[in-house]
Amino acid sequence: MYLCGYAIALLMVAPLLWMFISAFKQPGSTVTVLSKLFSPPFTLDSFIKVLKPDGTAMMWRWTLNSVIVGVVQTGITVLFSSWAAFAVSRIAFKGKTIIFVLILIGMMVPVESIVVPLFDMVTDMGWSNSYNALIWPGMMLPLAFLILKQFIDQLPNELLEAARIDGAGAFLIWWKMIWPLSRSSMAAVSIFIFIQSWNNLLWPLLVAQETSMMTLPVGIPTFQSIFATDLAVPMASNVLASVPALLVFLLFQRHIIKGISMTGIK
Amino acid sequence: MKQLKSPIYKNYLTALAFLAPFMVLYLWFWIYPIIKGFLTSLTAGSIGAEKTFVGLDNYRYMLSDDKFWSSFWNTLYFILISTPSIVVVGLVMALLVNMKLKGTTWLRTAFFMPYMLSVSVLGSIWVFILQSRTGLIAETLSSFGVTMEFSFFGSWGMGWLSILIATLWWTAGFNMIMFLAGLQEISDDLYEAADIDGANRWAKFRYITMPSLKGVTALVMMLQTIASFKLFGQTWLITKGGPGTSTTPLVHYIYQIAFRQWDSGYASAVSFVLFLTIALISLIQFKLLMSKK
Repeated sequence: MYLCGYAIALLMVAPLLWMFISAFKQPGSTVTVLSKLFSPPFTLDSFIKVLKPDGTAMMWRWTLNSVIVGVVQTGITVLFSSWAAFAVSRIAFKGKTIIFVLILIGMMVPVESIVVPLFDMVTDMGWSNSYNALIWPGMMLPLAFLILKQFIDQLPNELLEAARIDGAGAFLIWWKMIWPLSRSSMAAVSIFIFIQSWNNLLWPLLVAQETSMMTLPVGIPTFQSIFATDLAVPMASNVLASVPALLVFLLFQRHIIKGISMTGIK
Repeated sequence: MKQLKSPIYKNYLTALAFLAPFMVLYLWFWIYPIIKGFLTSLTAGSIGAEKTFVGLDNYRYMLSDDKFWSSFWNTLYFILISTPSIVVVGLVMALLVNMKLKGTTWLRTAFFMPYMLSVSVLGSIWVFILQSRTGLIAETLSSFGVTMEFSFFGSWGMGWLSILIATLWWTAGFNMIMFLAGLQEISDDLYEAADIDGANRWAKFRYITMPSLKGVTALVMMLQTIASFKLFGQTWLITKGGPGTSTTPLVHYIYQIAFRQWDSGYASAVSFVLFLTIALISLIQFKLLMSKK
């Protein structure tokens, strides 16, 4: 059992290790022959080549774009969904069922099936190659809404009732009670949405044609397409693109795993 | 969920204020595109150009379009090969982690880590491992004096195998987490009772673990089916959909029609079929989940 477990673990980690070691080899050196792979010299030359601002690889810019898009998408999705979930869960109003069903429909719509009309809309609005185009379409609103609503549904009524008798308005209740109480489920949802956004390929590929507006998933293959035989430099760019995500994972492992078992959506 | 749901405010304006930001974004970027996509699917003309109404012509064309059917069957084929493999690999990983071996956290971390990579990095790594002549496997074989006679991207079968391997490596950890959650819900009492009855390991697995995981397994299979319908990154990066159209799934084909041939009418029609298919599967999934509760 031990053997089996560690054998699979090794198999899973091996490609990652290979990526890391290759990245520390000289640009142009052979990394596919194992005896040569593990023998020195090890340098940072490949990283320097990737990061050099000569216009082909804009790693800093792509990372920045990915961070901006990820943070804004996550923030807005969680905030807006939390408000909407609070309203549907705790405020009585006409047409609630219609709105709830409408949002459930959204759960069934894959972004992939609406990219063509979305692209049309974005082009018509003159948003091509802009943060607007990267950020607004395709946010995972229905998913965040449903998870947060489920959580708010479970809050004991007495708690909110007491605050209301004290004269707190709806917004104050949201701000003083809902927001702090649902912090852990919001953290799980946030991390999940951020990973999705960080890894999104199809949509940014369509709307970011200019090199400076690309996100990491779009920039990486574009940059690597000019390297046919040199694997060290592309591997260095892979490492640079992966380190932030791997660090986030190692730091927030528990939250991420909880988030996945909670959402169950990929 | 039923209890404690009495509203605390009855005010239309308050509700509106809380809902408005969400609904504006949602109607604008989710609901409107579905309608717009359907309307576009009834027209002919390229993106940005004047469109003419052609009724159901695009759908009629789809029925006789070999490339559509090939991408449709390709997608179904990927579901067929990826779903059982992901269930088996994910379950084995979950069982290994759940056995509380020494260093179990390390195992879980190792199993899950690839999931954190962007699909572009994943694609790049696997191309470098699998490619002919200069790939890791080809070079390793040749250093033992063996020439790699076949190409991992050269045929329909090998192409899909490559995509399957890369996908398994990437997402098995995700599915492990789902199974792990399922395993941890099984009460220890069941196993203790089985111990008293003298049941062996296999019997416990067969009559306690497996039946208890039925729900999770169904969920994992549903999710993998939906994920397969959305397959794009792996084929676009690893096999480029080739050779020919042999590893082109549906979304990849939509991408080609819309953004290589710029035929937005037909692309919208195929998209709408994709939407209906996934909506149907989600509906079934939803029904299953509801009946379970």
